[in-house]
Formats: sequence, structure tokens, C-alpha cells
Amino acid sequence: MSNTGEKWVGKSVRRFEDLRLITGRGAFINDLTPVANMHHAAVLRSPHAHARIKGIDCREALKLPGVFGVLTGDDVKKMAKPFQVGVSRPPKYYPLAVDKARYFGEPVAVVVAVDRYVAEDALDLIKVDYEPLPAVVDVEKALEPGAPILHDELGDNVAVHRNLVYGDVAAAFAAADLTVKARFSFPKYGSTPMETYGVIAQWDPHAGMMTVWSNFHGPFILHPLVATMLQIPENKLRFIVPGDIGGGFGIKTSIYPYIALIALAAKKLGCAVKWIEDRQEHLSAGSSGTDRISYIEAAVKRDGTILGLKTKIIDNVGGYIRAPEPADLFRTTGNYLGAYTIGAVDIDAWAVHTNKSPTGPNRGYGCQQLYFTLERTVDLIAEKLGMDPSEVRFKNLIRPEQFPYLTPTGGLYDSGDYPEALRKALAMAKYEELRREQEKARAAGKLFGIGMVTAVDPSVSNMGYVTVAIEKAIRQSPSYLPKSGALETATLTMDPLGRVSISTNHCPQGQGHETVVAQIVADELGIRPDEVNVITEFDTATRVWSIASGSYSSRFASVGASAIAGVARQAKEKIMKIAGFLLKVDPERLELRNGMAVCLDDPSKTVSLKRVAGTAHWNPLSLPEDIGPGISATYTFSFPTAKMPDEEDHINSSQTYGFIADVMAVEIDPETGKVKIVKYVSVHDVGNILNPMIVEGQVVGSAMHGIGGALYEEMAYDDDGQYLAGTFADYLCPTAMEAVKMEIGHVISPSPVTALGSKGAGESCSMTAPAVIGNAVADALKPLGALVDQLPLTPDRVWRLINRKGASA
Amino acid sequence: MKIDGSLTLNGTLERAWQVMLDPGSLSRCIPGCEQLEVVGDHKYRATLKVGVAAVKGTYEAMVELTEIEKPRHYKLVVEGSGGPGFVKSSVSIDLEDRGPRTEVVYSVDAQVGGIVAAVGQRMLSGVAKLLFNEFFKGVNRELESAPPA
Repeated sequence: MSNTGEKWVGKSVRRFEDLRLITGRGAFINDLTPVANMHHAAVLRSPHAHARIKGIDCREALKLPGVFGVLTGDDVKKMAKPFQVGVSRPPKYYPLAVDKARYFGEPVAVVVAVDRYVAEDALDLIKVDYEPLPAVVDVEKALEPGAPILHDELGDNVAVHRNLVYGDVAAAFAAADLTVKARFSFPKYGSTPMETYGVIAQWDPHAGMMTVWSNFHGPFILHPLVATMLQIPENKLRFIVPGDIGGGFGIKTSIYPYIALIALAAKKLGCAVKWIEDRQEHLSAGSSGTDRISYIEAAVKRDGTILGLKTKIIDNVGGYIRAPEPADLFRTTGNYLGAYTIGAVDIDAWAVHTNKSPTGPNRGYGCQQLYFTLERTVDLIAEKLGMDPSEVRFKNLIRPEQFPYLTPTGGLYDSGDYPEALRKALAMAKYEELRREQEKARAAGKLFGIGMVTAVDPSVSNMGYVTVAIEKAIRQSPSYLPKSGALETATLTMDPLGRVSISTNHCPQGQGHETVVAQIVADELGIRPDEVNVITEFDTATRVWSIASGSYSSRFASVGASAIAGVARQAKEKIMKIAGFLLKVDPERLELRNGMAVCLDDPSKTVSLKRVAGTAHWNPLSLPEDIGPGISATYTFSFPTAKMPDEEDHINSSQTYGFIADVMAVEIDPETGKVKIVKYVSVHDVGNILNPMIVEGQVVGSAMHGIGGALYEEMAYDDDGQYLAGTFADYLCPTAMEAVKMEIGHVISPSPVTALGSKGAGESCSMTAPAVIGNAVADALKPLGALVDQLPLTPDRVWRLINRKGASA
Repeated sequence: MKIDGSLTLNGTLERAWQVMLDPGSLSRCIPGCEQLEVVGDHKYRATLKVGVAAVKGTYEAMVELTEIEKPRHYKLVVEGSGGPGFVKSSVSIDLEDRGPRTEVVYSVDAQVGGIVAAVGQRMLSGVAKLLFNEFFKGVNRELESAPPA
């Protein structure tokens, strides 16, 4: 046995999850049969984008043998309250259409039967009397006078409107040598996790307890929301999440309306109900990121300095704005000016109701829309000034000596060396060589483009940022209850034989949390990672958790890792005290390694963790009174910087801020318009890296996610609100065939605000890939004078750009 | 969705007109028609069983013949809904005398919605053309099986 205890954090420890997953032994929601006599639900959905529901006739369905019952909007109206949402004029959002359907695929009725087959058959027997109404899917048309109005009681289609102004925007524009103006359109797409939504609900009428198993991954702020909606006390709503979830990417946050829906069916019908979403349902009415129209105007000096921005952003939140929206608009408030020292900005932020499906978090949440607009604009500035795009970026990047850097909007960037990361990316891409290659390619009549992006990668959301959506006057009223905080809790126990179990609140969806948690605990307690039992199944009834808990905003490696290190350090303190007592040495002169406490001054003095734990459990009265029995700890890590927005709407919307510099080269087939990525270099600063293999997986996966949105995927609708992408034949996800070979580099600026110096890395290139593809394609088409202002850049759209069939296709 | 087409029927204008307005013939010619019940003057309630790719289902439809200008023109208006979605279509039909034969020029304006349109979008116009061909094939069958007395 070596004297130096091995350290595990920072190593590519192989994932403990994988043997289970690749041998088909994962326990996913559809594998569970947690209660007897489960019945199965199927959901009847609106074929109309917008229609009044004049009546629902379920008589024939109820006659079908095996059908147990039906839930309709009338039941929901009686049994539940509309969901709350953090806007000043909330629409009435129920999990089932009440009186009116507002998007294609909106649930209209739920049939519960002995099995799914009977339930599906019964859907055909329900007769719904619809009165179709005119529909609107375009946000700008939805804001026009005379547009069809979705929520009559609101009088218009505005879900949120806030004008946020930071710094002296007028002075910035007065001092400018020139301005650059553009309009961009970002599409609606999702994540298509391999596993769709799944819910099992059981109602105990005697205890008044609703127990729900689901593949929900947080944020758990949605738990009190569902309890309020169901009108039951929060401690009578129990959420249980299985240890394995087949992908989430933020999209599974928005399962909560279905949790409520199946819970209501279970409550009405008095039986346990299971519902597993099918792929058509997921594609048409699960959730998605928002499509956005952005207007931007930049005030620029002739030397490339960007002085200020005026922007108008219009998010399409579909039929109902639902929590955590309008977070897509405000998550990026702190990092709205990206990686640049821009001094002033006007953000005219809108969220608009249309007859599309409702939206929610989708990996990158708000950042892909932001950076597509901002980074395309930086390139337009470079073009107008005749500068290289890298030159404009170097001119404006925040310098390393400026950290910690307070942004004009309130973001507190913790650490970074942005110019170094961009230099590294350009060097890895052999940028100058690439430009020469481009010249040759252009001379040969080829369409070859080079793009780059520099972007701040925020992690760990401040629970207070969404309240920026609320008008200042309301926030200042005495009855208003402010929100703040970014925290996570972990619980660790050491059993009587000296082994460690740790439970976390992240509901992992494949990220490898079990492995990384074990690495962190192993280092803190001087044991091996495979000796740590990591419990990922989550249960609101038995776990110590809070509204911020869950997996979203890349929070694991930042706040999660800090909570885990913190709880292990607490346990360690007690272990040291007991060991010091047993060895009769000062606990301060001990260290933990190889499963033992070892005296630093006399390495022959050792005691095993088994003996320490055994004493604490079996003979606690032998210990001094101030030590106490057992070894366990619950620890909450809370960022002191996650404050509520101030009166001027400044908000530190995230708590750690990483950095991404992407460089990409593309070649376009002029005949077909097909974009081929020939080089993709991505340099990241995620602070200290906990497991390099896992970070690499996140970078590659997130890049594929962004490439999907930029080149292939779109949840398309026709002008009447008919959904057009109901299968994977029309909704094109990139597969292994479309995968891109990436070159990944790192710059490490440890975070001063987390326990291990690490930052989030989960969303990563999903934020930047759409922007860098946009810039590379624009560069390729520059000789043709075509403007790239929308995604996805499908062959059809690129072909039209090449052939000038409409300037913006 | 708009589809235009023309074709030739194996019968005189008079016979073609007869067949194409006769409920019995219509019920045999309309693809997937399981039932055609007269509910008014040139107004029918129909049960249609049609499938596009994997999306098969039964539609309850109202069929109405309007703008009747004997023997050259009428409009067939179909509005139906069922499990797979809904259809609203109007088919303008013009007949031209070609001696022993008749030329038909048709123009379809159809709106298809629901699941069938969400999953079968790329196939819809192809399927619609197929259904029209089926319909006119049926009309030809009628013309051939019951020659003029």
C-alpha cells in the first residue's frame, strides 16, 4: 500500500454507470411497476391550432370494454387551479384544454384503461365538437392589431414585455462613428431525448397523498407549483425520480404539466395511472426552445470598439406562457453583452403567445438565441469595417486583469482569460493557413467559409433572475415577495462498517454524476471512488432539498460539486475528531488516505475508517460528549452572490461563467446548398476540470445539439398552425452519420467561488454552434452578397441564398 | 394544398355526368367510402376509411355537390374529421364533350390537418393524387360496367 493516497478529481475515471446502461440494466421510468393494479393512459389531442371546444362526448369511449374512465377539461376546471407563472398577466394554463385549444397537439382528454391498446382505441370513440378559429404562429403578426387573440381575457397576445436599459445608451450611439443594424430569426427546436416523458401517479384518498414517479429532473421550484395547482399541501405531493433518466437536456423540466394531468386522472378515477409519451406526442407537444425574432443595432467606433447595443427580442412562447418561462428572455441578463466590454445596452424584451406548442428550457436556454444574434452582429461589424473578425473580438474582449468583472447588466464574471482562449482556438485551427486555403478555394470557384465565436458560458441560475420579468413597480410594492438564491444540498452517511453513501439532488440523465460524485468524495475522505455508494434516485419525501434542486443551467460541476465537497468535508471533520481521540493525537495532525486516518507526525499511528465508524455507531458512549454518535452530514452550499435583482434590474443571473471560443470552416456545395463542416475547433474554460472524459463528452454532445438546430432540426408549422414535423422523417436529428470531428482545447481559470474551482460544462457548444455555423456560412457566401440571418441552414435555404431567391430565404 | 389535373373518361358526356352525380355510383367510386347516406338535395353524410402511410382511420364527412351546371360543371365539397385529423376540400370539376369520350378537368383546394398532416406532410399531395386517380378509375369502371341502354 502506498503512503500517498491517490487523487481522483481531474482524472478520466471511467463511468460507473456505463456497465449498467450498456447491458440493459438501467432502471428507467418505463421499467418501474411501483404499485399494483396500474392502469394506462392515452391522451386525446387537438388536431386544430386554435379552436373552441363546444362539447366532448365520451359515451362511446366509456362503453368500450376495459376503459376505466375519462378526464376532460371540465374535470380539470373543477379539480385544479391554473398553473402559476412569474409574469404580471398570467394566462389560464391547465394541463388539459379548458373550453379552447390553443395549439396543435394540446391535450383535450385523457382515457384510462386496463392497457395502452384499449386506451388508444377509446380515443377514436371520443367525439369533440370543435369550432375552428383563425390561428397565428408568427410573433410579429401576433402583435399586430386585428390578430387572432389566444387568451381573450388578456386582450392581446403579449405574455411579457420589459424594457431593460443599462448604462448610457444614447451617449454610446452619440459617440459612435457608425452603426450596424440587423434582424435575425432563430428557429424552434428541442432535444429529442431517447427516452420520452413518463409518469406514474397514485392517489391515496385516506392520507390525501399524491405520489408521482416521473423522469422529471428539476428545477424543484416546479414541485410547489404543481402542489398549488392540484390544491394539495406540498408535503402531500411526493415526487420520486428513478436513478436513470434517458436524456433530458432541459426539455424534461416541462414534463410537469403531464405530472399534474396524470395525477388528476389518478385522483378522479381512484386508480394508479401510468402514461408513457410516444415520439409523435413528444415532437408535437412535449416542449422546445423558443423561436425568437431579434433586432439589433450596434454603436461602433472606427477602430472596432463596440460602445453600445440597442436590441429588441421577441420570444415565441406558444399557446401558454408557462414556468419557468419567460426565463429564456432573462436567463442571459447578466451575460447579455457576452465576452465584451460593451458599456451600454437597451433590451426591449417580449414574449408573445401564438398557436405553437408551449416552450421551456432547452440546453443552452436563451444563450443560443443571444449568441446567434450578437456574434453574427460582431461579424457584420468586422465586415463593415474591413477588419478580420478575430481583430474585432480581440479589441472588445474582457481582459484577464479585469476579473472579477461586473457587467453593466449585473453579471459577476468570476474568472477567465478570454484572449488566451481565442488565441489558442485560432492556433489550433491554424487560422492563417485556413484563410490562405480559403483564398485558393475561392479562386477555384468554391464556397468556403470560416467562422468564429467567442461567448460566455453561464452556469448555476440565480432563482431570482426570472423576477426581472416583473415590472419594477410591482417588485417595489410591499406585498411583493422577492426571490433569490442558488444553492444545493447533499447528504452523506458512513455506515457501521465504514463505507460511505451519498445522496444528491440532481436527478442525472446520463451525465455521469455517479462517477464524479464518487471521485470528489474519494478525494475528500481518502478512499477509492468505487467504495462510494452514490444514490441518485430522488424522493421529495425523504431528501433534503430546496426549490433550486435539480439538474439544469449546467449546475452540477459548480454548485453540485461544491455541495458534495462540502458535505464530505463536514463528515471528514467528525472522522478526524474520532480518529484523533482513538489515536490520542491532535485531529489537525491527521490526514485521510487509503481508507485510514494517518498521523502526519508519526505515520505508524493509523486507524481505519471502519474502526472510526464502528466506534461512532457501536460504542458512541466511549467518545467525548462533544463528538456525539454516528457519522452523517447534510450540507447546503449557497452562493452569496445570487441576490435578487436591484431596482435598476441589475442581476447576477448565473453564478459561474465559463468561456467558449469556437472556430469553424465550412464548404458549401453550390449545386445543392449542402453545408459541410470541414473543421471545428472549440476551446473551453470550465475552470478546474473534474473528469476530462466527461467534459469532452459534454462538449461533443452539446456541439451536435447546436449543429442539429443550425442545420437540420425545426419544429415547423404552416401559417394556419398545422404542425409539420411529427416524425423523425420530417424532424431531422443529426445522427452518427452527421457527426463532426472536433478538436477540443482547454484554458483553465479556476473559479474562485466554487469549492473545487470548477464551473458548469453541460450546455457548452449548444450555445455557440448555431452562431459559429451562421458565421462560417455567411463568410462562405460573402462573395455573393447573401445575408445569413436565420436558421436552420438547410440545403434548400442555402441554395436559395446562393441563387438570390429572396435575400433572406 | 392545391392540385390540378385532367384526364379522359371512357363514356359520353351525358353518361359521365349521370355517373358522377349518382349517389350509388359515387359511393362505389369514392376511395374508402363505406357508407353514403343522402341527407338532402345533393348532400350526403359519408363514412370514409382512408390511410396515409401509417396513419389510417375513419372519417365522418359531409359531402355536398354545389355550383351544379348540368352537364358541364359542379363542385364537390367534402368536410370530414376523424381520429387522424380533418379534411376540408373543394374539388371543381369541368366536363368537356369529346364524342364517345369525356374530358375531365379538375382543380382541388384541400386543407388537411391533424396527425395525418403532422406525420405525413411529405406524402400528402402524392396520396391526394392517388386518391383522385382511384376515384376516376372508379368512374370509368362504372361507365364500362353499365353501358348505355
